[in-house]
Amino acid sequence: MELIDNLALGLGVALTPANLGFALIGALIGTLIGVLPGIGPIATIAMLLPLTFHLEPVSGLIMLAGIFYGAQYGGSTTAILVNLPGETSSVVTCIDGHQMARQGKAGSALAIAALGSFFAGTVATFIIAAFAPPLARVGQSFGAPEYFSLMVLGLIAAVVLAHGSVLKAIAMIILGLLFGLAGTDGQTASQRFTFDITELSDGIDFAVLAIGVFGVGEVIANLTRGEESRSVMSERITRLWPTREDFRLAWPAVLRGTGLGSILGVLPGGGATLSAFAAYVLEKKIARDPSRFGRGAVEGVAGPESANNAGAQTSFIPMLTLGIPGNAVMALMIGAMTIHGIQPGPQVMSERPQLFWGMVASMWIGNLMLLVINLPLIGIWVQLLKVPYRFLYLSILLFCAIGVYTIGNSPFSVLIAAFFGVAGYIFMRLECEPAPMILGFVLGPLMEDNLRRAMRISSGDPMIFLNRPISLGLLIAAAVLLLIVALPAIRRGRQEAFQET
Amino acid sequence: MTADNPNTTSPHHPLHILARKNVLAGLMFIAIAALGLWVSRDYPIGTALRMGTGYVPRLLCWILMGLGAAILVQGLREKDAPPERTSWRQIMPIVVVTTSLIAFALAIEQLGFVLAILLLVGIGAIAARDIKIWELLLAALVLIALSYAIFILGLGLTIPVWPVW
Repeated sequence: MELIDNLALGLGVALTPANLGFALIGALIGTLIGVLPGIGPIATIAMLLPLTFHLEPVSGLIMLAGIFYGAQYGGSTTAILVNLPGETSSVVTCIDGHQMARQGKAGSALAIAALGSFFAGTVATFIIAAFAPPLARVGQSFGAPEYFSLMVLGLIAAVVLAHGSVLKAIAMIILGLLFGLAGTDGQTASQRFTFDITELSDGIDFAVLAIGVFGVGEVIANLTRGEESRSVMSERITRLWPTREDFRLAWPAVLRGTGLGSILGVLPGGGATLSAFAAYVLEKKIARDPSRFGRGAVEGVAGPESANNAGAQTSFIPMLTLGIPGNAVMALMIGAMTIHGIQPGPQVMSERPQLFWGMVASMWIGNLMLLVINLPLIGIWVQLLKVPYRFLYLSILLFCAIGVYTIGNSPFSVLIAAFFGVAGYIFMRLECEPAPMILGFVLGPLMEDNLRRAMRISSGDPMIFLNRPISLGLLIAAAVLLLIVALPAIRRGRQEAFQET
Repeated sequence: MTADNPNTTSPHHPLHILARKNVLAGLMFIAIAALGLWVSRDYPIGTALRMGTGYVPRLLCWILMGLGAAILVQGLREKDAPPERTSWRQIMPIVVVTTSLIAFALAIEQLGFVLAILLLVGIGAIAARDIKIWELLLAALVLIALSYAIFILGLGLTIPVWPVW
């Protein structure tokens, strides 16, 4: 069978000692930053982008992917034990997870979260393996107009499904597109938005922008907020295995969470956080006794924790098959690929099967590692929660600075990162999410390129986007999404879904 | 983000309206779009068939300007939105973090890796209100050793370690 052959090829790549090592490093770093509040996977992956210059492409991507899904495991530990979300995707886990911990069922909650995540990760790996090849074949039949329309749909959907103001999110996308245009115009070789600074003639480096906005920006935001007091559950976790009753209640929720997360992860703008929120709402809606939620309902841990891991992994599907990033982490993964000269898109799978299937296979191996890292070693991670933020931020700041410097051995890049750090803080302060900006930045040059090519095909007639059926369909879908979000009823529902905490 | 006196009366005071999140965000987008349009004023636009350097950037700036105006109007209509307040405690980390990065950038090629890290950590630590001096020294030592191991031994980067005379 094709699927088995492909996975066997992938396992061959993923099981080499070096790649096993990088999967382990990724899983460990992911758990670490997942456990620690105040630093998330986006900032970490941005900080480590420059390091992947020096690695094999597949090793680098395996490590970065491990950080993303590893953070989903680690985030639940902090949520359950400290009532603080280690990651935004584990915000809802706090509600019932921490209540369970207070009732002396911390071990049970941690085990359910880890086992649910592992199950979801396994299913999601097979979903990627099964659905990626047909999707890539569809992608290969696309021409420039279809690609342009697909990117429009992707950006619009990312905005609609993200939280916060739609107008602001679109404005941030446009801002990202503009930043992406800075530098030398590939077609006419003239300079744009360089302010006559030589260092800017190659444009703004993707990693510098990401490290500035997410790494430095987050440090500033956290410092202005001041250090929150953390009270780690001090009792020893005695029983690390759920009771029969907990199992009985949890497994249907794990199945539902996995299903929901797998679907929502594929959508642009989806991913871990949306999946977790949606799964919590679903569990509460279908529960026989919704009043148990908020008082330590095991389904409230099992559903969202499975969903966030499933969503984290299936969000790789559009990135790997079409080259379209659905969320900021995927935009960073695309950045990591282009650093190595790999043009993301449907051809990756056929031209570099080792890279593609190696990454997919490593996800399952990484999930297995995470189960071991998280369950028996939980005590070590709990100790880490006692590290004060004043040490953490100095290390983050230093890694940002050195990382940015090493990209092009250019001190000027560090200054640009500092600039984007302040900009990133202002954006966060004004509730303008920086994630859509990164999507726009990555897609900007690609969109302009496809727009120009489409215009050349049609000799300057913009109707080409409406005359080609696939392109028309994609644009209609984008318009429908925008209309839906403008409807008052839906808008209210959307707000509720995000305010479930 | 104006630092208003918190006692200035009603929420409809002009400065309070100006300091609303959405008003500030709208103004920010309009300002960026205006800057973009001004910088790109001489870029050739070309035609839809042969797009010049300025076609897409100017188009995007106009869209951004429109969106900024819409956000601004939205902000002006929110009667009870609270104004943003900024205290020195919030400005200080911005100044400290930026200064530490600038110091690092200026130091790295002349003074080398070790001194640049000391500068970054030393300046950056000002933002931590309750750091003790021995903690700071320990943190600096650990960070220097760690970065040396990762970047110079591990990745073999050619960064000057000590000052270049």
